[in-house]
Amino acid sequence: MSAIETVRESYRLLDDTKFGSIVKGIFLFGLLAALPYLIEVDVAGMELAATLSLKVLILTLIYAYTAQSWNIMSGYTGQFSFGHAAFFGIGAYATQKLVVSFTLNPWIGMLIGGFVAVLYGLIIGFLTFRFKLRGHYFALATLAFAELINVVVTNMSELNAANGYYKPFPRDYGASYGLSAFQFQSDLPYYYLIFGFLVVVTVISWIIKNSWIGLYFFAIREDEQAASSVGVPAFRYKLLGIAISAFFTALGGAYWSMYFNTIRPNTVFALFKNVEILLPAVVGGVGTLLGPIVGSFIVTPVSEIARTSFSGINGLDRIIYGAFLVAIVIYSPNGVISWPERAKKLWNRVRNNKEVTDK
Amino acid sequence: MPSVATSAGAILVLQSGLGRFIDPFAQFITDLLNMEAVLLQLLVFGLLLGGVYALTALGLTMIFGVMDVINFAHGIFLVLGMYTVWSVTTTLGINPFIGIPIAAVVLFAVGIGVHVLVVEPIIEAPQQNQLIATLGVLFIIQSGIEIAFSPNPQQINLSLGSLKIGDVFVPLGQFYALLIALGTMLAVRAFLNRTNLGRKIRGTADNRDGARYVGINVPRINYLTFGIGAALAGVAGASIALFQRFDPFTGDIYLINAFVIVILGGLGSFSGAFVGGLMIGLIQVYGGYYLPGTTAQVLIFLLFIGTLLIKPEGLFGGVDV
Repeated sequence: MSAIETVRESYRLLDDTKFGSIVKGIFLFGLLAALPYLIEVDVAGMELAATLSLKVLILTLIYAYTAQSWNIMSGYTGQFSFGHAAFFGIGAYATQKLVVSFTLNPWIGMLIGGFVAVLYGLIIGFLTFRFKLRGHYFALATLAFAELINVVVTNMSELNAANGYYKPFPRDYGASYGLSAFQFQSDLPYYYLIFGFLVVVTVISWIIKNSWIGLYFFAIREDEQAASSVGVPAFRYKLLGIAISAFFTALGGAYWSMYFNTIRPNTVFALFKNVEILLPAVVGGVGTLLGPIVGSFIVTPVSEIARTSFSGINGLDRIIYGAFLVAIVIYSPNGVISWPERAKKLWNRVRNNKEVTDK
Repeated sequence: MPSVATSAGAILVLQSGLGRFIDPFAQFITDLLNMEAVLLQLLVFGLLLGGVYALTALGLTMIFGVMDVINFAHGIFLVLGMYTVWSVTTTLGINPFIGIPIAAVVLFAVGIGVHVLVVEPIIEAPQQNQLIATLGVLFIIQSGIEIAFSPNPQQINLSLGSLKIGDVFVPLGQFYALLIALGTMLAVRAFLNRTNLGRKIRGTADNRDGARYVGINVPRINYLTFGIGAALAGVAGASIALFQRFDPFTGDIYLINAFVIVILGGLGSFSGAFVGGLMIGLIQVYGGYYLPGTTAQVLIFLLFIGTLLIKPEGLFGGVDV
């Protein structure tokens, strides 16, 4: 038995045990935790850090996190939301507004923002599910709710209208740099913070997927009528899905507002923010646990690297990004997560053909 | 006593908050009772704008109705129409009114190209894939325009002046745009109702499978529909360019309003698109006059959500493409 076969065999044994997926998950997250150091490792005179900075990694994890949150609702229950920027923006705005106006600690503001987003999500869900909107109509309705809150905030002088907020210093709300202030003086702690967020949402996503809740979610996604007829309370579980999803998306918005210096309606509530949130999940694989993370590691660095390396001509990076989106959707409709499977199938077909020709 | 102060503050905030919503409407009703001349002027502006809005929604409603694809590139097709008519007038010195049919032809070709390269392969794919693919097209075209013509706003210097009827001004640029919109809508309607190809398109919109069974070449209908939809966007964009400044990012707001009009009027309904367009135009003009900032857009989204909830098939429900 060659070495590679031993590895393959032990991998299959690991797959068969009950804890296989947990071990793999821990390995993956360990890799993510080590990533800031890995990119600085010198390989043959080249280091990844030249193209992939810590900032890009943080951005990648933010979008992995929000896509994972989006996935809980849209991937699992099949209710395709095109308006998650609403929740994201609510989280960002609640945190900043409470810090600036009431000197409330951002962690508390973040939780309040999460609950406000849940409330908004429940209103959206109650109305749209009650009136049985689905497909394109549901997507457009969620988009309308997101644009609605965008315009409302843009016109509210209480929320600084179109100017938005500038992140206050920790001493403005009686704290000093560190975890309790939600602000750090370097990027590395920020990385581990969003990494923690991602671990939490992924674990919760995994628990949901492996519990009766996930079973109900998937039943609703596959055939809502059939699910209802065997006693799945579809309406209530769809509301649960949107509530969980809204809560975690808002937390992502809060993180965003504490990492970047400013928030404005046309950044956190932007039309394009809706897309940025769902894109990693679609690219990676909708409804899968790993899809949003893998997808974000493809989409976000491509966008950022294109931006930095084609900065000579304004807009060229967006052309490349657009072409990349089109290509990935056409050639990989089920997401990147299906590539190993597809490669295996292709390999088998090639091998079978070879055997046929050998005979 | 801080509690008294805060509660008094809360009442003040509440009053100013409510007043913000009530005052403009009170003002509107006072003006209505006094028969202010400004109301008539606003009505004219609203109708002029609404007619053009209806035309922007026409192509979208056709593509949505026939192919069941949400085309996010529609807004950028409009912008492409604007830049086409602008470049033929400024560089070749051609009359902008001749530029409009040129924009239609260019956009028809672009539409077919986009369809063959991007939409055709994913026409049966889940909606999120269609959305992202058409969004990719939006980025490509938008940045292409940005690189070719710079991101600065452009405009066609027509200086057509305006007509004065009684106390009411009618800006001629907008008036011609409205005429073009009406003419195009009537022409498309006649095409769909009277010609053989038009009937095939309507049949496909009604029932794609049924159309296939009776021998209609559905893929061909698809690319023609996409081409015609893009051409209509080209005409709409070109006529907007007659009276308004534009830049590569103008398309976004038109795209969102076009979605609202499509839902408002009913999927694939032409008369619905027309009435929906007029409604949005009137809300924007009256709202812009009476309400602060861009609050009128809030009304539009509330109307949109209300329609989706209560009558998702639209005011003119059913399909009559």
